[in-house]
Amino acid sequence: MLQVKRRTIFFYLLPIIVMILLINMTPILYTLFLSFTNNTEFNESYNFVGLANYIHLIFTSDSDLYYVLALTILYVIVCVALFVLVGMVTALALNHRLVKGSAIWMSLLLVPWAAPSAITALIWKFLFNYDFGPINEIGRVFFGAKFGIPWLTNPVAAFIAVVIVNVWLSYPFFTVVMLGALQSVPKEMGEAASVDGANAWQTFWQVTFPQLRPAVTPITILSAITTFQMFTTVYLITAGGPITDPARPGATTFVMIYMYNQVLGASAANIHYAQIAAFAITVFIILGALTFLARALGARRSEAPV
Amino acid sequence: MSEQLPGRILNAKSGAISAGGTAPVARARVRTQSRAQVARLRFLRNLPVILLYAYLIVMVIFALFPMYYVIQASLAGDQNLYATSLQLFPVNPTFSNYVYAFTREPVFNWLLNTTFVCLLSTAIGILFSITGAYALSRFRFRGREASLSLLLALQAFPGLLAITAYYYLLEYLNLLNTAPLVGLALIYAAGSLVFGTWNMKGYFDTIPVDLEQAAMIDGATMQQAFWRVTLPLATPALAASALFMFVGSYTEFALANFVLNANSNGSNLTFILGLNALQGTYTTPWGYFAATSVIISIPLMALFLYARRFFQSGLTVGGVKG
Repeated sequence: MLQVKRRTIFFYLLPIIVMILLINMTPILYTLFLSFTNNTEFNESYNFVGLANYIHLIFTSDSDLYYVLALTILYVIVCVALFVLVGMVTALALNHRLVKGSAIWMSLLLVPWAAPSAITALIWKFLFNYDFGPINEIGRVFFGAKFGIPWLTNPVAAFIAVVIVNVWLSYPFFTVVMLGALQSVPKEMGEAASVDGANAWQTFWQVTFPQLRPAVTPITILSAITTFQMFTTVYLITAGGPITDPARPGATTFVMIYMYNQVLGASAANIHYAQIAAFAITVFIILGALTFLARALGARRSEAPV
Repeated sequence: MSEQLPGRILNAKSGAISAGGTAPVARARVRTQSRAQVARLRFLRNLPVILLYAYLIVMVIFALFPMYYVIQASLAGDQNLYATSLQLFPVNPTFSNYVYAFTREPVFNWLLNTTFVCLLSTAIGILFSITGAYALSRFRFRGREASLSLLLALQAFPGLLAITAYYYLLEYLNLLNTAPLVGLALIYAAGSLVFGTWNMKGYFDTIPVDLEQAAMIDGATMQQAFWRVTLPLATPALAASALFMFVGSYTEFALANFVLNANSNGSNLTFILGLNALQGTYTTPWGYFAATSVIISIPLMALFLYARRFFQSGLTVGGVKG
């Protein structure tokens, strides 16, 4: 701790204060303000309407909120379950006493993690292409010339596609963390269990898994939060589509994509900025609750700028 | 094709293992058993190993396939990418796609624009976060705890939610039409400031304040003590923060897509917008797309490899050196 003049403290803090007030706080406060007005693209007025936008969002039967939230939560659950499963199986395989050279395997498996995700998203879109994409081409090798999965035009296939890409991006992180935890489990514990007559399955669930749990819990919550607010990867592959019912958002329209399409989408005739702001604040409250929960459980959020 | 490669590796491996371990016992039994039975027993004994390696090989193919496919597609020329049958190796490797990308597409402009945005945002972000983090770490003032909590709360807010407000802010600052890239850099810098400040503060906390006090007893001013003593010691954290900021801005899509309007040939875009635009139409030039995405990825991967050594010490607490 240094004893300095007040002026010096102020001088050191000034840049960050100006920056945070101007660029971080103002847009948030503006969005909050906007959510209590009736501002749209055409009327350009800021009449105070109280909670009307929130009431419309939450209680109107044709509100997209619940559809989009349910879709996002489904995506989060499927993705995170697969992260844990694939990450754990891979970590167990690498930790197996018969597998040699786990460092080399690991560095190969880590490549998706190090690659810039926005670029790999576009590459995956290329791979999913119906006619020229290699995934369908591999399928044609095995199932004949007529084979083809409509990856980006069928709602279920598009959902599966963005799950595959997210698993590809994220499971290496889980493998690294779980391998670290596995390597700190003393081998004697497993041996002791098998001497006592436990089979491999029992040994895993009763001995190994409890040792993994402290490492797995925080990263599971962490990736649930990042998956919840996932935007770039999914948007670049599907842009929220495909839309099958004109009254509903597309099959991969998760919360962030929904917001973005509402503001920027070509379909929006008269953009209702106030309602979009109310949606944004609602999402922020949900995210804030999740983050608070994560911090209470000892996780630290990783940072993505903007 | 991929079926054969694992097989060969596995035979070699499993042969070595079985010969090492149980050879004497097995040899005694061999006399009473037929050759086929021995082979079957050996296969069953090695089945776990075979399955383990098969799983790992499948996962490695899954991990590397997208990159491999794009690299080979970038070398494959143009024509055979429009075939609907599988091509895994370029028959006549050629750099024509790269030549096209550099001569016909505004790749150099994208590179300039992106580098400009990334450098500016990283410079602002680093400068502001080291002074802020130093003050939060070394000085005690009213509202310090509250500021730290506010930073945490800000971190939970995805900037994307306030995207309309950012648009108006840039319009208000008169940057939207005159210098949209500067505007983008400012917003990226503010976005990474929170992370940078926390990371740097955590690192400053691990450097003993005695070092600065000693320097000040020797006649240095507080400014000199900060810039000459503490900051050089914090180089790993500085490098890690800068890298995160740079990489975060390099492929940012949402805001850039909102703020930048493409001109006639798209030369005013950033990399990721240009690459996305290449894929936009019905007739995607796959070869050019593949070559361009390889070109874009190379600087970033090189940066990552170079900066990896800073990671371990830069992002973990407890790195007092010297």
